Amino acid sequence: MQSNGMESNWAAEHLQVIRTLMERSALYRRALAPIMIFNGAVGLAAAALGWGLRIGSPRGFILFWTGVGVVAVAGSFLLVRRQAIKDAEPIWSPPTRRVTQAFMPPLAAGLMIGTVAWVKAGPAPGNFSDLSGVIWLPLIWVVLYGCAFHAAGFFMPRGMKVFGWGFIVGGCGLLAAGMPGWAAPLGYAHGIMGLFFGSLHLAYGVYLRSTERRGNEA
Amino acid sequence: MNPEPFLQIDRVIHEKGRLAIMSMLAASPELSFTELRDTLGMTDGNITTHIRTLQEAGYLSVTKSFQNNRPLTTCALTPAGKRAFTHYINLLERIIQQNRPK
Repeated sequence: MQSNGMESNWAAEHLQVIRTLMERSALYRRALAPIMIFNGAVGLAAAALGWGLRIGSPRGFILFWTGVGVVAVAGSFLLVRRQAIKDAEPIWSPPTRRVTQAFMPPLAAGLMIGTVAWVKAGPAPGNFSDLSGVIWLPLIWVVLYGCAFHAAGFFMPRGMKVFGWGFIVGGCGLLAAGMPGWAAPLGYAHGIMGLFFGSLHLAYGVYLRSTERRGNEA
Repeated sequence: MNPEPFLQIDRVIHEKGRLAIMSMLAASPELSFTELRDTLGMTDGNITTHIRTLQEAGYLSVTKSFQNNRPLTTCALTPAGKRAFTHYINLLERIIQQNRPK
């Protein structure tokens, strides 16, 4: 009787080990190229729009880019959902859960820092040109976004960590360099957002798409 | 107690290191040698031996290619490997079922 119980425990432990290893192994590979391309297009369009509409008050800038972030997240979710339905897979799979959990702390920190900056900036009535007080904010967002990607990169294809490092190193480098004397705060702030959240996403998405195609052709 | 499930256990898969490799590959279309080694914390020699055993049993296919001018070895389960792994899981479940108090 005792032997039966031990064998049952042994089998259950084996199954638990197998389950843990399978979960650890299952990398998040879903819809990465379309998500990157979508976010890149949104980032570039938003940067052009923000600059064109001259959204230059601190509060306007923070609200505008928070809205862009919401659009990007919602669009990404729809792309993930579409692929999950197409492949008859659950949306909230263990890899998706782990990637989301890895993303959350840096993104929440970015949101909180943005909120604090929004509160501190005040309504600034009539001031549509001065972003110099929060010129650091886009770069902090860039660095935190890089941290989020690097953390999620443990559960995604290896290139994601390199992509995250691109944001971290680029953001820190530009923070250290400061805003060039010839640049205007409005163009600089939207330019940073467009460069990192637009161009980098787009470039990586195109790279992923081309390597996926090559992989399929091979 | 029915000893039949124990007698059916595949000794190739049942070894701890090989079971870990099979489990990881069961959840991923393919994994590189490095990914397997780093995740499982095995030495190069140890993992090579296990991979060779699984390959000889027909459970695993190994592909050698180049990525960025560096050699890349990737492993994947063969259809026979997937069947053997599923069978192994089913046996474990049967062992648990038959020892469950009625």
